[in-house]
Amino acid sequence: MSHFRLFVLVFFVIGLTCPAWAQEKFTINGTIKDNSNGEALIGVTVYVREISNGTTTNEYGFYSITLPKGTYTVDYSYVGFQTVSRTVVLDKNVQQPIELVPEASQLQEVVVKGEIEQANVENLEMSTNKLEIKTILRTPMLFGEADLLRSLQLLPGVSTVGEGASGFNVRGGNVGQNLILLDEAPVYNSSHLFGFFSVFNPDAVKDTKLYKGAIPSRYGGRLASILDVRMKEGNSKKFEVTGGIGTVFSRLAVEGPIVKDKASFIIAARRSYIDVLARPFVPILENGGALNFYDLTLKTNYDINRRNKIYLSGYFGRDVFRFDKTQGFNWGNATATLRWNHLFNERLFLNVTGVYADYDYALQFGKDERDRFSWNSSITSYIFRPQFTYFIDSRNELTFGADATYYSFIPANAEGVTNGDVVEISLGRKYNLETSVYAGNAQKISEKLSIEYGLRYSYFQYLGPGTEYIYGDTIPGLRKPVIGSKTYGSGEVIAQYGNFEPRFSFRVQAGQRASIKGSYNRMAQYLHLISNTTASNPLDVWNPTSNNIKPQLADQFTLGYFRDLTEDKKYEFSAEAYYRTTQNQIDYIDGADLLINQYLEGDLLSGIGRAYGLELYVQKKTGRLNGWVSYTLGRSELKVDGINGGQWYETRFNQLHNLKLAAFYDLTSRWQVSANFIFTSGTPTTFPTSRFTQQGILIPYNAFESRNNVHMPDYHRLDISFRLEGKKVKKNGKERKNSDYWVFSLYNVYARRNPFSIYFSQTDQRTPAGQAITSQATQLSIIGTIVPSVSYNFKF
Amino acid sequence: MKTSKHSYLLLIFASSLFYSCEDVIDPTLQSADPVVVVDAWINNLPGAQTITLTWTQPYFESQIPPAITGATVSVSDDQGKNFLFIENVTKPGHYEWSPSGADTLRVGGKYWLTVITDSDTFQAQSYMGRVPAIDSITYEEDENIATGDPIVRAEFWATDPVGTGDAYWIRSFKNGVPLLKPGEINIAFDAGVSIGGPTDGVMFVAPVRRRINAVDRDEDDQLLSPIENGDSMHVQIHSLTVAAFTYLNEVSIQTNRPGGFAELFATPLANVSTNILNLNTNGRKAVGFFNVSAVSAAGKRYVE
Repeated sequence: MSHFRLFVLVFFVIGLTCPAWAQEKFTINGTIKDNSNGEALIGVTVYVREISNGTTTNEYGFYSITLPKGTYTVDYSYVGFQTVSRTVVLDKNVQQPIELVPEASQLQEVVVKGEIEQANVENLEMSTNKLEIKTILRTPMLFGEADLLRSLQLLPGVSTVGEGASGFNVRGGNVGQNLILLDEAPVYNSSHLFGFFSVFNPDAVKDTKLYKGAIPSRYGGRLASILDVRMKEGNSKKFEVTGGIGTVFSRLAVEGPIVKDKASFIIAARRSYIDVLARPFVPILENGGALNFYDLTLKTNYDINRRNKIYLSGYFGRDVFRFDKTQGFNWGNATATLRWNHLFNERLFLNVTGVYADYDYALQFGKDERDRFSWNSSITSYIFRPQFTYFIDSRNELTFGADATYYSFIPANAEGVTNGDVVEISLGRKYNLETSVYAGNAQKISEKLSIEYGLRYSYFQYLGPGTEYIYGDTIPGLRKPVIGSKTYGSGEVIAQYGNFEPRFSFRVQAGQRASIKGSYNRMAQYLHLISNTTASNPLDVWNPTSNNIKPQLADQFTLGYFRDLTEDKKYEFSAEAYYRTTQNQIDYIDGADLLINQYLEGDLLSGIGRAYGLELYVQKKTGRLNGWVSYTLGRSELKVDGINGGQWYETRFNQLHNLKLAAFYDLTSRWQVSANFIFTSGTPTTFPTSRFTQQGILIPYNAFESRNNVHMPDYHRLDISFRLEGKKVKKNGKERKNSDYWVFSLYNVYARRNPFSIYFSQTDQRTPAGQAITSQATQLSIIGTIVPSVSYNFKF
Repeated sequence: MKTSKHSYLLLIFASSLFYSCEDVIDPTLQSADPVVVVDAWINNLPGAQTITLTWTQPYFESQIPPAITGATVSVSDDQGKNFLFIENVTKPGHYEWSPSGADTLRVGGKYWLTVITDSDTFQAQSYMGRVPAIDSITYEEDENIATGDPIVRAEFWATDPVGTGDAYWIRSFKNGVPLLKPGEINIAFDAGVSIGGPTDGVMFVAPVRRRINAVDRDEDDQLLSPIENGDSMHVQIHSLTVAAFTYLNEVSIQTNRPGGFAELFATPLANVSTNILNLNTNGRKAVGFFNVSAVSAAGKRYVE
């Protein structure tokens, strides 16, 4: 454990370099909330005029700033809220909780927040995107339903292989390289209905932040990105019901105070009913078939006192597909998060989080007890995470803490019954412990230069009971033979790995309105999403690092230029370049057997990867017409012995060009129109060159043995939606208590048949012996038409 | 993939609820030099055994593949016997041999194939695995899961012998016509469907027993009843080597593309393996497979 000792040393060095405590200093701190509903506000700018410097509120709305004795003027500002200024006489520690009042015209503020007042230019952060729930609600969407992950795909550096694909890709990383956190609980599958919707209920989401690079040391575990979704706490002032009735599903959320200003709750639910509506027309549904999803999101919190606050949140969601009463499959996530905020003193903030997170799926086939097959698989994790923030002074904010995650995997728990005989084909469970310690400091060196540096040490153990398999060498690309195995007892360590993950970023002010930022980060990933299908799907299994599967590692460098184009900061421009190299990337032998396979690791190949690109982004943040244009030029490749002759090949989700345009326009006080347009280069696929037959079956053949040797046609799509706000006043002139709005949307306006895949097959007719078989290529579009929809949404 | 046969059922039904569409397209493909194709699946059934030699052809060239004529084709066994396959003068590229007397293929025997073309010598090896007898074939009345229409399905019954590592290709014939659509490839590893999860020494699992049926559709893309009154089914179980099982599994993955939502579960196009090796490792490549099977068979006519 010499690694660990070194880490502790580094930790202390960071601690010691922090500025001295000698001068008499006092602290202003407090929690900043939304005056209308009591929700804590994340990322509020706290600006001290006298020092031309400040801080922002953390994930719990808390801020703390320590200054020499004196009198100061502090501005509290947040997009969509009226700025509050307070004069503070600092001759002792001052508690200054603030409630900000929303601006009356807040509906016009549709922004992907780059922190409008503390704009991107001035912020140390880079490669991050915040997505306001208001923006999500106004983006035109499939079936008219606001969706977090689909809105996310409009941002630079984020892409997907198309409709029907679960998850999303960030800067050329695969779907399994994103860590998706819902109130700090990992979500192992973020999709409902094969990616058409995400598991996040917009009624219950407060804040969303995507880290694509410059990832702070407190985050780890995935290579490409961290998506941090925070739930609402629930209105602590008054009861509120929001909901919507749409084409595919309906939603309802109730929130309100338990003890006014002390404790509140929110409970939000969704249920799709496409199968209920279709039942009379589809015999399979009449016979007990089903096709639906539902989810439930809950949160409650209690303000014990100024120093202590607890939060409890949970999510439960499920997708159900059944062919009849007994056959089908279902999958879903369940998470629970318990958090305790504690203020040790005015400057030391602690959050302790305990998480339970589970993803599982189950399948069952067979109509009777004599012949059936059932199978389930799951990943369960228990997380303990203390995190300290030490607000040292106005120039330094130190974050340090630890993470421990215990994983229990059930790769397959399967039972077959054939003609009454029961056959067990379950695979052994796997147990793992992932621990990490980290420290990071955000430091303002001068008005022109800020830096953030941190270090994370992660450590992964594959624990018994379990069996370690040893595989022999073979020609790369072929199944590796098992040449030995060793059994371990409970708690014994089968394999272990440790990795240092340094993180560094800087910002240099370049003139009044521009800044240059750069970063380097190393990430380690110990869980691997095993998927060799065209798009990720719910049956993909997570597999832990083992003696055969090494941890994935990534090194990313970014460099960016940020500029306010106009004096009033209405227009913002950014350009960011990234370069990432990865190690121990997984690919698969041809014909790999990934499901219920004890010797799965013999079917995996390992290689290296690289991804690089340039992201350009222009945003107009306010006004009747606002929105953004995002363009990404990128490339993502892998090099794996045994695939493509050992040469570099493009990943399945590589897109050279990725252009996105989002526009929002207020037609009248009640009508708003939104549009988005997407253009992406066709993703790579493999075409055959030749064909041959074996025993009357036509087989495609690529004489060059290449992978992803061609590109599918380009993808482009226009979506438009109209939103009609309900009347604000009643006929008798009184103001309405309730508010409501309609959304009419058109997805894929010009009905382009965007390709999802192109596949090669023989035609379906039976070919008589001695005659030639006809071959063909077919292009599949998951959404091949215009999809109109309407939804009604209300709040009272 | 184990789930493919189930998932495509689901997906056919799911796709009817969405907005997917498919277009037959005509993309330009890279051109490539032809490669030797060896189609060498022989067995211990009485009568002539055939090995065919052809060239690969451009993917969209929907014609009888060009034959390789004038080659020398022979199979030798572990008892020192050598069986020479002679080219059929009326069928170019077809090389035939008929067992006679003591010159037969045996369960447990090891076999080597040698193919000599004008410039290359290819070799492959196989063994003849054991095969269980078919107890019976039955017919069951059921209903079409998508339409609710009555259908009749055939099922065969046989038990895998105890001991792991047996592999089979169940080949079926409806009214004498071999069922060879990609979706009709029916292979078993022991009594189950894959190597990964052993299911040994029991009755073949239900998906294997029932996958002998013809998969045909009407103009509305609805599955037709596999069996009508008076139809007859003939079922053969062919033993496979483990390598041949893997090969056919790959063939099934690469060729069985029902389209629609099943594409979400489809794997990228890749070449299937081969056991045909050029003795000169720098020489031309070949594709195809050599397998020697023992065969058990049964048949039955359906009468209402």
